[in-house]
Amino acid sequence: MPNPTALTPYPVTITKIVDETSDVKTFTVVFDDPEIMENFGNKPGQVCMLSVFGEGESTISITSSPTRGKFLEFTVKRVGRLTEVLHQMEVGQKFGVRGPYGNWFPYEIMKGKDLFFVGGGFALAPIRSLIDYALSDQYRKDYGRVEILYGSRSYDDLCFKSDLFERWPSLSNTAIYTTVDRGGDNWKGRVGHVPGYVEEVAPSPENKFAIIAGPPIMIKFALPVMEKLGFKDEQIITTLEMRMKCCLGKCGRCNIGSKFVCVDGPVFSRAQLKGMPQEY
Amino acid sequence: MEARIVNKGQLPELLDKLAKDCDLIAPVKEETTTLFRKISGAKDAFLEYNNSDISPKGCFLPQNEKTFSYTYTGDSLEIVKPEGAKKTVLFGTRPCDIKAITTLDPVFEGVKFGDEYYSSKRENTVIIGLSCSKVLSTCFCYAFGGGPCDGTGSDLLFTEIGDKYYVEINTDKGKALVDTYSQIFSSQGADQLAKGKEELAQKLSGEFIRKVDLTGVKEVLDGNFELPYWDGDNYKKCIGCGTCTYVCPTCHCFDIFDYTTGDFTGDRIRCWDSCMYPEYTLMAGGHNPRPTRKERVRNRFMHKLKYHLDRYDMVGCVGCGRCVKKCPVNIDITKIINDLKEVAQNA
Ligand SMILES: Cc1cc2nc3c(=O)[nH]c(=O)nc-3n(C[C@H](O)[C@H](O)[C@H](O)COP(=O)(O)OP(=O)(O)OC[C@H]3O[C@@H](n4cnc5c(N)ncnc54)[C@H](O)[C@@H]3O)c2cc1C
Ligand code: FES
Repeated sequence: MPNPTALTPYPVTITKIVDETSDVKTFTVVFDDPEIMENFGNKPGQVCMLSVFGEGESTISITSSPTRGKFLEFTVKRVGRLTEVLHQMEVGQKFGVRGPYGNWFPYEIMKGKDLFFVGGGFALAPIRSLIDYALSDQYRKDYGRVEILYGSRSYDDLCFKSDLFERWPSLSNTAIYTTVDRGGDNWKGRVGHVPGYVEEVAPSPENKFAIIAGPPIMIKFALPVMEKLGFKDEQIITTLEMRMKCCLGKCGRCNIGSKFVCVDGPVFSRAQLKGMPQEY
Repeated sequence: MEARIVNKGQLPELLDKLAKDCDLIAPVKEETTTLFRKISGAKDAFLEYNNSDISPKGCFLPQNEKTFSYTYTGDSLEIVKPEGAKKTVLFGTRPCDIKAITTLDPVFEGVKFGDEYYSSKRENTVIIGLSCSKVLSTCFCYAFGGGPCDGTGSDLLFTEIGDKYYVEINTDKGKALVDTYSQIFSSQGADQLAKGKEELAQKLSGEFIRKVDLTGVKEVLDGNFELPYWDGDNYKKCIGCGTCTYVCPTCHCFDIFDYTTGDFTGDRIRCWDSCMYPEYTLMAGGHNPRPTRKERVRNRFMHKLKYHLDRYDMVGCVGCGRCVKKCPVNIDITKIINDLKEVAQNA
């Protein structure tokens, strides 16, 4: 059994790498110990600590849904030292993973409801696990209509293109809305920012949860739109990011007031966020 | 509760035996600094101290600790953990520092996530407390329900009375130690010394100079994150040196990094960190949720006086007075507590 309290990671082997954009890659990995893989027990929305030896650790969301099989996917943006080294790794190479950590999307409470996902840029990564969970053969019947509104700066910056343009639209009772800030020769679709597109699509708040993840600026402009459409604070779910080192509520740095994002989050409803200090 | 007596003249014999039979950690004086170190016998111990400069928290959360070593050759990845803790005796801990350890316990031995490194040391260590014989001008342990002769959290508590130590046995672990060295611990006359300890505790409790009163402080902090008080002088004085966090016996923040000795060979280390540094919360991309000293100073005191209470039902300060004594710009938690009490009264 994996020991989630340990600071020691378990070795994983990279089985697949997808270049999502010029600086984002998705790594598919399996634990070298089949027992750990079997019993990992991750839930949609949880995160792991990735160890790249020599560089330390980084907190990365599990992008894959546990329903998709015995592997984990991590979608990583190259931003600093550790992520740079990770981006240089190849299929067959190894790094370390410990987890799963944090809370998860309230997928039990969401049963019987429609789901409206709003994603911006590479932040579709943390919510993709829930999208695939709700769209899985196993649980599809538990959820209503699944709509995904996703945007990025340009076509080249869209992540998960095969999901967006092939896999998700082919599934029943789904709708995918894609937009980019700047059009180009390779883009025939909508041009414009995410919040404006949400206003245009105008989802009804009736029997629905909205799950939002994106850069702070997108969230800032999307929230008033959701509010105008009638979404209550309890119906809006998002994920937070703070610098993390332990993911165990001990190293101290990820607190927002009395809450540690690593154990009490990263998933929060807007109602919960309103009860917390605005220090994130 | 059972008690014993140890003649002061026999203490060296006890310490020498302990140092031989297990790891013995005790206060030592290095140049002008009093701190806790593993010693080889009674001759190394420095027991004439009032309050050590560096607290003994490092016995359980070392300043630098290897969590494992790794070797990655391309096809194989090997992770080797250090061995668990050895049998250890921590001798000569003052009551405030013992209380500090009990304040760290719920963080590292939490219901949800334990910490094998901490727990292994905690389980294998017998804590022998030493009552204070003096109250310093910076002491205020009483404000948190502690006291100079309070043995809560210790396995044994030694109290110096005349030419003897009165030894209270607080746990089974403590009892086992007493039984092992039964020729040094005598039960004769212990009852009479109990009264002596009472009197000492009584006398010392009247010697605190600092008046610290927490009444209403937690309440005024609850739901008042933007309290104008935090815009005042405290953060403006702070130079962000982090001294308060290093000397604090309840501060437990740490960093984790790799110390590489070869390409993919090295040690993973965790080391003390400080919430007073901007890098502590700095995220890749440059965003910092606590960008200035104001947010950092507020967070530190909110952690001590509210957050730790919210999470663990314990105040995150034990009144040891180290930060008061060591802060180069005189930021004083006792003044902050009293100011906040005033804010509460005027609210
Ligand atoms: C809950 C959560 C989920 C995340 N999910 C993802 C994801 O799915 N994909 C992705 O690419 N990134 C994700 N991040 C951000 C990711 O952790 C950082 O981008 C990454 O740690 C940067 O590491 P670096 O060494 O390349 O950067 P450097 O700037 O060199 O950072 C040095 C170290 O600081 C810490 N650190 C720096 N920034 C962050 C940060 N924003 N969050 C946490 N620790 C940080 C890490 O320990 C890192 O190794 C997530 C962060 C959080 C908190
Ligand atoms: S990451 Fe260490 S406390 Fe949250």
